[in-house]
Amino acid sequence: MRRSLALLWAIVAVAVQRELAQRANLVFVALQTLLTSASGLFAVWAVFSQTTTLAGWRQAEVIVLLGLFQVMTGLLEAFVEPNLAWFVEKVVNGELDDTLVKPVPSLLLASLGTCQPWAFVQVVVGVGIVIAGLAPLAAQLTIGGVAAALILLAAGVLITWATRVLLACLAFWAPGMDPTVLYQAFWQLGRYPIGVYHPAVQRLLTWIVPVAFITTVPARTLTSGWSSSAVATGIGAAAVIAVFATWAWRQGLERYTSATS
Amino acid sequence: MSRSLHILRAYITHYLLAWLASRSFAFTLVANQAVTPLIGLAVWSTALPGANLSSYYLALLVTRLVTVSYEQHTFSGRIYSGELIDDLLRPHPAMLATLGQNLALRAWHVLIGLPAIVAVLLLSQASFALPDVLLAVPALVGAAALQFLFTYTLALSAFWTERAHGVVGIGGTLVFLLGGEAVPAPLLPDAIRPLGVALPFRAMHGFPAEIAAGLLAPDAMLVGYGWQLLWLAVFAIGAALVWRGGVRRFMAVGG
Repeated sequence: MRRSLALLWAIVAVAVQRELAQRANLVFVALQTLLTSASGLFAVWAVFSQTTTLAGWRQAEVIVLLGLFQVMTGLLEAFVEPNLAWFVEKVVNGELDDTLVKPVPSLLLASLGTCQPWAFVQVVVGVGIVIAGLAPLAAQLTIGGVAAALILLAAGVLITWATRVLLACLAFWAPGMDPTVLYQAFWQLGRYPIGVYHPAVQRLLTWIVPVAFITTVPARTLTSGWSSSAVATGIGAAAVIAVFATWAWRQGLERYTSATS
Repeated sequence: MSRSLHILRAYITHYLLAWLASRSFAFTLVANQAVTPLIGLAVWSTALPGANLSSYYLALLVTRLVTVSYEQHTFSGRIYSGELIDDLLRPHPAMLATLGQNLALRAWHVLIGLPAIVAVLLLSQASFALPDVLLAVPALVGAAALQFLFTYTLALSAFWTERAHGVVGIGGTLVFLLGGEAVPAPLLPDAIRPLGVALPFRAMHGFPAEIAAGLLAPDAMLVGYGWQLLWLAVFAIGAALVWRGGVRRFMAVGG
């Protein structure tokens, strides 16, 4: 575990050094992130200029949800997407060989082997939005609620990683199908409370692309108090999906035929 | 002119067939394009259940598929890789190949997106009056041309920077913000509605959808067409100038 954490730290350090060679990129990334965040806040503001609640959520609560969505999107784009986006090509072209021969767990290296540090800007902006959203709700915040939300967020990070690994594993069975763009499309649905969607879409967002566990449940816990069942469900779901992703990865590797014969 | 049209048709056919091999990827692209109008539909239908914005967001979905542009991937990539030299050596304007690919991709988007359009039409309460739809057709053509010129001009930033994706991404965010996707222009807060109506972003997406959904009075429609024509002229001239400046900087190495 300590070795894996040291490796992750080294990966981040190397990525930061690499990206610092292109500092001008930071200006674009920061500008784009701020503009995207502003557009999200603007949309929320425009909606609440016409109504007082959205699927039972008040404006400040939706802003908290938007901020958490930004944080999770930033983490996804910083750590997971640079590795698992277009994973099919790595499997088809045999590029996974390089990962498999290294003396570290292959799943760790394949899913977290590189990182995109500029995406941290999105995490920082997201945290700012969460704090801004919580300001009018400060009176109803509880230590238990904040702690439960942090636990659920950690579970959400694990669920995000595991879901993406599972989708990447599809490449071992169906190399003609790359779910990257489709996943990114469904991911966007997490920026609003899932109650606004059709019940069938809500089920999809709970069980297939579980953005409900990733953003909606932690935001609800943070703004409206915690329940032991929500925390238990979040932890249980994270554990189950992480174990399933690890198993699927092992099964997938058995089907991997490598670049050479 | 007819020679250029003939070449353009050949490029469209070429790219239609080329994308036939990547139709599963095209499907995912369509899903990505469709998600924003569908989110808008869900959010605004929940926020204002009596306003019946289904027609607007369905028309917006069609507009988005018809106006889709990926020049930051297709054209900027050729600048970065040096493959643009191949286009420059051909005895026709280099833009024709890009335009041909753009039109072929739009045809694929509409074809693949058709089931989603029909599904939303059947599941929502969307309805259209034929005169409104006919009045929206020129606006849709204008929006398609404007979106192409806008994306193409931003994609030309690849001559100067390695961040053409970022530049086009910022443009895309502005289109989302003020183009009628995040908020339909008639629902914009009073303070910024005149700005939203006048800027080019609404002319690229929301304007045809507003006409088709019957949200615009005749005088507002005329003003909208005026803005669209103005921005078409601005971006056509802008694209020509930026191209002229960029191609002088272009260097390719090959053997």
